[in-house]
Amino acid sequence: MTIAAVPHPAPRPPALPARAGRIVLGLGEWYVTADPDDTLVCMGLGSCVALCAYDPIAEVAGMAHMVLPDSTMARNGAAGPRFVDAAVPLVLDTMVERGALRTRVRVHLVGGAHVLAVTTPGPQIGDRNLEAAIRALARRNLHAKYEHTGGTKGRTVKLTVASGEVVVATAGSGATSV
Amino acid sequence: MGSMSLGPWAALVSLGTDNAMHGLSQMIGQDIEVRSFGLRRVPVAQLPEIVGGADAEAVGIYLTVSGSADGHLMLMYDPNIAYAFIDLLMMQPIGTTTSLDAMGRSALGEMGNVIGAFFLNAIADASGLDLRPSPPAVMTDMAGALLDVVISDILLSQDETYVAESTFQVSGQEISGNFLVMPSEELLTALTVRRAA
Repeated sequence: MTIAAVPHPAPRPPALPARAGRIVLGLGEWYVTADPDDTLVCMGLGSCVALCAYDPIAEVAGMAHMVLPDSTMARNGAAGPRFVDAAVPLVLDTMVERGALRTRVRVHLVGGAHVLAVTTPGPQIGDRNLEAAIRALARRNLHAKYEHTGGTKGRTVKLTVASGEVVVATAGSGATSV
Repeated sequence: MGSMSLGPWAALVSLGTDNAMHGLSQMIGQDIEVRSFGLRRVPVAQLPEIVGGADAEAVGIYLTVSGSADGHLMLMYDPNIAYAFIDLLMMQPIGTTTSLDAMGRSALGEMGNVIGAFFLNAIADASGLDLRPSPPAVMTDMAGALLDVVISDILLSQDETYVAESTFQVSGQEISGNFLVMPSEELLTALTVRRAA
């Protein structure tokens, strides 16, 4: 089992690269940091949604690479931060523990696309992930910006701790600062 | 992941891959030699890295499996490999195709049809199960994005899946690619029950 919750300052799991400062979060991983040299990255988001949270005063950043909307969906009992409803509170609570103030936290949601040209009954998983994230944030009176969500193209998102800048690169297009 | 060991499943996937190459050989009218074949059980979360990195551009040919049980088949190739396949299918010199247009997409879709049908037929014949492929979807995107929906479905019930890596030679050219065979827990159980019967 390599999908790991990564609460700072827990040791990084083997899936994370050794390259200092650039922390790439795999499926179901999350990270919170106040190190200004760090950059948090989620690569190749399709239906997955990245939570990008930042307190500009405390300069604490958090990110989660969320795969599924609701931990009650788990058929093997393995709930955890791969689920939106588990990851959002984990990231926000850990940010507060690291000095962030919830009311100052700015949140961007990125991803939730419908990349596979295959239609399944009911809402697509990307839409469900986004709705779950918006609901989970609303429970904490937080509202996200989510202009880089939906559509049919994959995305990579980067959050720079020193500046709080969020940059989104979309497949077949360039990168945009949001 | 189920009680089935890798051995019997590897034998079935190898059988299916051989049959799929036979079907592809018929389709392009040339001999295809499978040079290497390997099956690994891997953590689902590592799939994007296994196919070259989550944000690497890839061409995916995706089919779902239905019938006695559900599953996913995904052929993933570096774009240049996919273009070489298009050239083989269109009977034109390799290097002719440099981007994925509607014709190329259709050709790869046909290839997915043949590979999916021959692969599943071999497994169905060997196991007695009813396994049917869906029409294929052909897409170009970041590898991680292509895999997301499949991964999210698998992660609902299991943390590991199977990746078949094959290298084959056609027209003197060695071509390698990943053939992601992602049986559901239900399918593995059905196969185990059939083998035990």
